Amino acid sequence: MKRVSIFFIILSSLILGCSPTSKQADTPIIRMAIAQAPLNLDPRYATDATSERLNRLLYQRLVEFDDRYQAVPGLANWQVLSPQQYRFTLNQSAEFHHGQALTAHDIKATYESLLALRDAPHRAEFAHIQKIEVHDAKTLSFFLSKADRHFVEKLIIGILPQQLIATNHDFSRAPVGSGPMKFVRWQSALTLVRVRDGQQLVFTEVKDPTVRVLKLVRGEVDVLQGDLPPELVNYLQSKPDITVNTNKGTNFSYLGVNMQDPILRERNVRRAIAHAIDRPAIVRQVMVDSTRLAGAILPPEHYAGNAALAPYAYRPLYAKQLLQASGVKLPLKLIYKTSTDAQRVRFATILQAQMAPAGIDLEIRSLDWGTFFEDVKQGQFQLYGLTWVGIKTPEIYLKAFGSDFAPPQGFNRGRYQDAALDALLHEENWPAATTRIHQQLPYIPLWYEGQFAAYRQPVKRYQPQPDGNWDGLATLE
Amino acid sequence: MNLKHLISRLLSVIPVVFGVVLLTFLLIHVVPGDPVEVMLGESASVADSAALREELGLNQPLMIQFGQYFNKLAHGDLGRSIHTKIPISVLIKERYPATVKLAVVALALGLMIGVPMGIYAALHAGHWQDFVITIISVRFSAMPAFWLGPLLMLLFAVWLGWLPVSGMDSPGAIVLPALTLGFGLSAILTRMTRTSLLEVLNDDYIRTARAKGLSERAVILRHALRAALLPIITIVGLQMGSLLAGTVITETIFSWDGIGRLLVESIEKRDYPVTQACVLIVSLSYVLINLVTDLLYQVADPRMRHA
Repeated sequence: MKRVSIFFIILSSLILGCSPTSKQADTPIIRMAIAQAPLNLDPRYATDATSERLNRLLYQRLVEFDDRYQAVPGLANWQVLSPQQYRFTLNQSAEFHHGQALTAHDIKATYESLLALRDAPHRAEFAHIQKIEVHDAKTLSFFLSKADRHFVEKLIIGILPQQLIATNHDFSRAPVGSGPMKFVRWQSALTLVRVRDGQQLVFTEVKDPTVRVLKLVRGEVDVLQGDLPPELVNYLQSKPDITVNTNKGTNFSYLGVNMQDPILRERNVRRAIAHAIDRPAIVRQVMVDSTRLAGAILPPEHYAGNAALAPYAYRPLYAKQLLQASGVKLPLKLIYKTSTDAQRVRFATILQAQMAPAGIDLEIRSLDWGTFFEDVKQGQFQLYGLTWVGIKTPEIYLKAFGSDFAPPQGFNRGRYQDAALDALLHEENWPAATTRIHQQLPYIPLWYEGQFAAYRQPVKRYQPQPDGNWDGLATLE
Repeated sequence: MNLKHLISRLLSVIPVVFGVVLLTFLLIHVVPGDPVEVMLGESASVADSAALREELGLNQPLMIQFGQYFNKLAHGDLGRSIHTKIPISVLIKERYPATVKLAVVALALGLMIGVPMGIYAALHAGHWQDFVITIISVRFSAMPAFWLGPLLMLLFAVWLGWLPVSGMDSPGAIVLPALTLGFGLSAILTRMTRTSLLEVLNDDYIRTARAKGLSERAVILRHALRAALLPIITIVGLQMGSLLAGTVITETIFSWDGIGRLLVESIEKRDYPVTQACVLIVSLSYVLINLVTDLLYQVADPRMRHA
């Protein structure tokens, strides 16, 4: 017994000896725990949300978006010289983090290098750039092979220094930009420093939401943003030394419908499903504050949004009548595919319970992300649940619902065919197009999830942005 | 040590490794998904996709692709990650030592807790001490890592403030993940040590050792425990193999950048070359551990050298 006691004494001493010192907490570094580490900090390759959010801090872009999601000058002002020619003039003197001035040559080099990369996911969006001509250090022109009304809105790739592009610099792991934050190092955590005042920010990947919360409570991190289930947000709200700020969101959650399915092809069946979901109850009970019901992919405040779309009310009996009127045998068995994410599975079980009184027997298939997304792209589903994140341009309507845009040409995963809608989309008649989509229901709209950020001292104030970006870190107090 | 046996065991590893490489390659090509689509995204044009597929050699017959893959592998080239573009050998070098470190500490904790408890239980078989240890070990083995891990965090990190919640930054960061794994391991080792020891404690040679006047400590540690070691080595070998394969849940909960987490992340993101390399490394770990276990048998039991 004596030996066992000695062992436990040694173990306890080890544990106590390893305890973190308070000195660590005194350093002026701001630490943020993130659910997913960035995959690639080269803006020509980045597609995941974390990399894109960080790249907004590391690089500057030609254009930005205002509150109504209209493109506004970022690094440069522009003139539309013809539908196929755009002239950009740098409106400020910017400098890269390695000290070199940012010029029109860097912009040309960035976009030309993007077009030369065969494995860059953003390349296809710019395939119609015929040539880029630099007039002087501040001015350049883009020539397109075909007219593109949304060309300017696409110019959101971070600008890289021409000199480093030429030397095949590895921007993915050692980014050099001209944004408000400068790259310091990336080992197990990513460290950036704010250019204006030298404030360091460290981003650490912590996958598990409970652990992220415990780290904030313990003071091991100072800021969390998004990616937490509401009960953990409520828990954080109850902590006196932690502040939780919420904001309305713009990321659109929906149920995708397979329009080739013999049952779901019937509009009344889709209407029945829409009426079988009690969305206000879900938002009230299991969503974070500031979540709002959605009508279209783009939010009402967007210039191509539609505030007039009335939400489908929860009317299970009416839904049942619609199904019966459609000649569907009840209960209607439907398969709902979702990922293995805990919150997604929770939504699925809620939907299953809510749809039952309407005569819908929802079978949940929870699949690993890769398999799930592959099934969705292949059209191997009846219903699925997903969220559009960070969408800014109304072109999404055409790509998601246009008859010619089934994968791999676009994102029309439900294989929806509608000539009337196609015409409206080509006319860019957004009110009419969104109304038709809302009536035809190739998507069943759910909500725009509210954004939130939780923080503690030394952070004094941090407000989350509607699309979940981390731009606020550049001005964080 | 029988050199001939060692060489023959080493040679037998070659077809196993080849089989693993072939199987991994074929399985990766069977799972749904297209690496080109992963690289270029959904909006890529058909022409661009076709061009990249050709450039990567993905339109070639499977066996030619395997030949090229095997050739690169033989030259130590594991390829690059589709998403991060980082050479996979760099990723493995970053991640695998972390897994080995965690596995070794967890195993050491498991042995330090499990073997003494098993001996103690065997020596007090049928008494209350045995009963208490049995209950503790059953409890430990029934506690899943996703429950035990956060509980340990809450106790040692949040309430007591002794250890960091997660991460790999401070030396103490390894304690909680190692305890999470070590507790479960110790439970298995306790049960196995107790059972093995009980089987030999009544054997004639133990009685003879006692009759010769050896101390009880010498009888247990030098004679009984050595004879009971074989099943314990087997369990330790199997557990070490599974620890080196990466303990995904524990690594995820504690933000421990190990190979298990890398493997699961690569599967989720359809990063095929990374998945392929991770499976290969994990399989090789198993092969190596089996080899070491086999050699340890001979150290523990001289009769095995002549078998």
